Amino acid sequence: MTNSDIYDVALAAAPEPAGSPGPAVPGAPVLQLDAIVKTFPGVRALTDVNLEVLAGEVHALVGENGAGKSTLMAVASGALAPDEGTVVIGGRRLSTASPDEARELGLGIVRQDPALLPDLTVAENMAVGVGYRRVGGLRRAVHWSQQQLDPWGMGIDARTRVVDLSVEQRFVVEIAKALALDPKVLILDEPTEHLSLDEVQKLFGRVRELVAGGTAVVYISHRIPEVKQIADRITVLRDGQVRGTFAAAEVDEQQIVERVIGRTLDTVFPEKAGSAGTIGEDDRLAVRSLSGDDFHDISFAVKAGEIVGLAGVQGNGQAALIRALAGLESTSGVIEVGGRRVSNGSNASASSAGVVYVPADRHGEGVFLPLSVGDNISAKTLGDVSTGGMVSERRVLSVAAAQIRRLAIKTPSARTPIQSLSGGNQQKAVLARTLLSEPTVLLAEEPTQGVDAGARVDIYRILHDAAAAGAAVVILSSDGVELEGLCDRVLIMSRGSVVQELVGDDITEAAIARAALTSTTVRERTDSDASARGVKLRRFLRGDQSPAAVLGLIFLVLGVVVTAVNPAYLGAFNINNLLFMVAPLLFVGAAQQVVVLGSGFDLSVGPLMGFLVVLASYWIVDGGNLYVGLALMLTGAVGTGVINGFLVTRFGINPVVVTLAMYMALQGIYLTLRSTPGGIIFGDVADQIQARIGIVPVVTILAVVVLLVLEFALRRTRWGLELRAVGSRVDAAGRLGIKVKRTQFLSYVLCSFLVLPAAVVMMSQIGIGDGRPSLSYTLASVTVVVLAGASIFGGRGSFLGILAAAFLVQQVLNVSPFLGLSQAWSYWLPGLITLTAAVLYAQLRRSRRKRLRAAPIASPKGSAA
Amino acid sequence: MTGLITPDVSTRAESTWRRMLSGNWVGITVATLLLFALSPVIAPGSLDPAPLLSMLPFASVLAIVAAGQTLVVQQRGLDLSVPGMIALAAVLSTGLPQNYGWPLWAAVIAGIVGPGIVGIVNGILVTYLRVMPLVVTLGMNAVLLGTVFFIADGTPSGAPAALNGFALDRTLGIPNTLLIAVLIVVIAGLVTQRSIIGRRLTAVGVSERAAAVLGVRVNVYQMFAYGFAGLCYGAGGVLLAGYTKTPALFLGDSYLLPTVAAVVLGGTALTGGIASVVATGIAALFLTQLGQLLRSVGWQDALQLIAQSVVLIAVVLLRELVPAFLRRRAGRLRQAESR
Repeated sequence: MTNSDIYDVALAAAPEPAGSPGPAVPGAPVLQLDAIVKTFPGVRALTDVNLEVLAGEVHALVGENGAGKSTLMAVASGALAPDEGTVVIGGRRLSTASPDEARELGLGIVRQDPALLPDLTVAENMAVGVGYRRVGGLRRAVHWSQQQLDPWGMGIDARTRVVDLSVEQRFVVEIAKALALDPKVLILDEPTEHLSLDEVQKLFGRVRELVAGGTAVVYISHRIPEVKQIADRITVLRDGQVRGTFAAAEVDEQQIVERVIGRTLDTVFPEKAGSAGTIGEDDRLAVRSLSGDDFHDISFAVKAGEIVGLAGVQGNGQAALIRALAGLESTSGVIEVGGRRVSNGSNASASSAGVVYVPADRHGEGVFLPLSVGDNISAKTLGDVSTGGMVSERRVLSVAAAQIRRLAIKTPSARTPIQSLSGGNQQKAVLARTLLSEPTVLLAEEPTQGVDAGARVDIYRILHDAAAAGAAVVILSSDGVELEGLCDRVLIMSRGSVVQELVGDDITEAAIARAALTSTTVRERTDSDASARGVKLRRFLRGDQSPAAVLGLIFLVLGVVVTAVNPAYLGAFNINNLLFMVAPLLFVGAAQQVVVLGSGFDLSVGPLMGFLVVLASYWIVDGGNLYVGLALMLTGAVGTGVINGFLVTRFGINPVVVTLAMYMALQGIYLTLRSTPGGIIFGDVADQIQARIGIVPVVTILAVVVLLVLEFALRRTRWGLELRAVGSRVDAAGRLGIKVKRTQFLSYVLCSFLVLPAAVVMMSQIGIGDGRPSLSYTLASVTVVVLAGASIFGGRGSFLGILAAAFLVQQVLNVSPFLGLSQAWSYWLPGLITLTAAVLYAQLRRSRRKRLRAAPIASPKGSAA
Repeated sequence: MTGLITPDVSTRAESTWRRMLSGNWVGITVATLLLFALSPVIAPGSLDPAPLLSMLPFASVLAIVAAGQTLVVQQRGLDLSVPGMIALAAVLSTGLPQNYGWPLWAAVIAGIVGPGIVGIVNGILVTYLRVMPLVVTLGMNAVLLGTVFFIADGTPSGAPAALNGFALDRTLGIPNTLLIAVLIVVIAGLVTQRSIIGRRLTAVGVSERAAAVLGVRVNVYQMFAYGFAGLCYGAGGVLLAGYTKTPALFLGDSYLLPTVAAVVLGGTALTGGIASVVATGIAALFLTQLGQLLRSVGWQDALQLIAQSVVLIAVVLLRELVPAFLRRRAGRLRQAESR
């Protein structure tokens, strides 16, 4: 009989847990989960889980990482469909897995990873999150949001963008959003991870108020003391199964911990090197005065055979530190491995010195999902399985087979793609790869996250063996039990510094937690925000409208310079020409901007113009019918948009491929219709299109008005908000109930629709049915969008920027004859402008990101504890 | 105990299907053989030596150029500078001897290395300066076309006779262009599939972050992928210039979509990672023969553009729909079993 069984029996004999007499008398069940089963490829995440949460109680859900807590709550909130079982909220059954429906039934959830849209303001986020009606329309959103946020005293301005908030501020926004919905049942998933003790007490105060008002709260955490403090009842989850529900008052911390891990500590962990006497003499890893964005002035050393733990509340620099040791963060200071210096911020240098890093984000950084188990195992030691630079498949497989046996990796074969393995077995493959490279320094970040109990024991043994073989091992873990069981020393980090070192018997889970939560160091302020003028300038540069101003300025300067060289440039003819030529550019630029905002891309705008002009050249001619022609053009434009949008959103095909195919197809169609120019556009129509007021063409005025309307709509209407939301973060937008596919589909249709007026103007410019001049508009539209400073990944951008960019581009094209430039420049200029602008904006964004990562350190949070 | 669920029959069938349809050469090879088998039925005489010999040089050029595109797609990019690259190679190898008196060998080397260097520049912009590949290559294409215009001074040059002769000539009855294409594709195939460099390129393509964790110099590998792609475009462009004798200035324009189509047909996912240069080469043969066939039944070049687009979208759809369909069926089966 194993220890875990003993505890099962012991706890089963304890008094039957029941609704405890809490502050408010619990009422009827408001959330019922019945017999939930959920299977992921290769893993059974939840087995027959039952959970009943009563009105007016705080029901804690505890378990280790990977026990299934978050999966269970994803099922409860409609984000995941269970394989079997039912979810009942407020007495009504959740018919399909839909976050919207769950929210309507009265379920609110605050996730570890807040569903916030980074490029939108706090107020816009709250409006999307709680529904426009509750907020009182977008116009009132700022005021309303501010009211919700002020009680928290976090200094959050509802008009700031979410990207510019610190992690804890974001979390408060997320909580405020959930509370504003007046949920019947509120799920808090690890809510205190990012909060200071002060903020935790504020949160608990709010939670108690809610519960007193009859709301049920599900509180997920792995911090047992907090759970004891706030919860009425506790349900323990382990390996996807419920291991009992208890009244919080009737169990002590020790009992909960044992339930959670399922066995006593000493059975899991191998003997420590300190007591076994296998720690070497010399320092394998030495770090002196190491500073990076999220930590500063770190010095420590690790001896061969020693296991050192890094601990602290998440987000205090420990993750950045361990990555820096692997050469994955830029740093200043000294890192020495085996007495030899490693160049800072170079993953290749660290790797060749024998530093191996086992990342926490296994799917993103640990494994190559589509590659086979064998390829994953040999990925770091390709030299050992090759001759003359050529890899031998046979040797890859035999090495893999040996490792699969040695580490007991459960896989059908070495050829199986690693993505079909369970988390624990994937992690074992990562460790097999690590061990094969015989590391001098082994860095492991959360090595057992999302790993089942059986594999966990194996992983502890593997780490221990690596140390015994002479490696210096550094383990970062948020699991104090794990550090207690494995480490010879533990360094506690707070706000980017090592604040305490625990050695030998002092290493206990309680001591680690205490040290992490009670540290009072004030974070070092960075000097990056020194000058007030710098801040102002930077804030301006961050805004959506800054490119428009800069481009407008360049436009004027260029005009002045050219006029100085050649006064004819300011002549009425040339101005009129410039203004007329810019009209199609304004329309296609706006068209491209609409798709790009929704994180799409449309290469087909150019040929679409040509196609529409050729269509028109059959009807808008002498003796034809203007209206039939326009109707045909409209049908062609909208049809193209519908096909593009349908293929991209319905089948998830890469928009570049779809619109590239459309580019070629439209080109093929108009060349088939008119292989040579033909069909003179009716003169009266062309003249009407070219009508002007003074020297300003009417179409240009129209184009500017359209852009202004679009700009207004982008900022002030639901359509604009949702488009930016989708472009900003698709997954979060989906979780917030925005119809992502519909929004993107419509963006393609609107894009093609905006190409229509561009085609009409071009038609009057060339006066004949010819598609060829249209091709250059594809690049032009991209140039304009890039110049306008839109994040090409969507979510940000302005139509005012498009306005300025289009004028600048057209002016650049116009000045070349005045400056006597050759025809080659008509290609060079747009190309070079695009590249230069793209590089510039990329660097701006990059430096901004960097500063933002440093932001939590610079935030004047003071001593929180 | 949460454990491994052994894959049932349906998921195994699914994975076989998926392997056949993605990243594997079986699908496209079967399709190509079918096409050649059907060709004489649709257009009698289309497999005679004359049409074959006129088709193979174009297939060869496409295969070489598409090999370069494969390298870029493997790194999750898409190279829109292909037309400019081909045009640059052509103008360097023809314009330099005619307008500037360069010896042929130097002009040919310039024609291959020039696009290679431009490729490296693309790579630097994409990796070190973090600009989106699409924007980089679209902008670079315009810069290249301007350069072509500048070098040629607006008028196309004739290919030197020796280059023209070599491109038209046959060795042992096999067109030289085909021999070179096979050589390039086989070497590129071996390097990308079997060598350490190729494995690392695959690793970077699958996940930059995971490759960085292994200590791979991600930026260097990506930059060289763009550089080698440039060399391929160069080689293809020089051959094309030689074969067409007096290459039009912008002769590369019609090669953009076919390279993308060949890469997709060859089973390389546009999401990067696992790629097969050889499969891309076979797909190039398929596409060119398809074009030849359509031309022989009277389709103009403009219609060919439409046909290529339709084939591209159809194949992408097929790849998207078949696995999804199988997944759904497998899911239903699993549900049925568990009841």
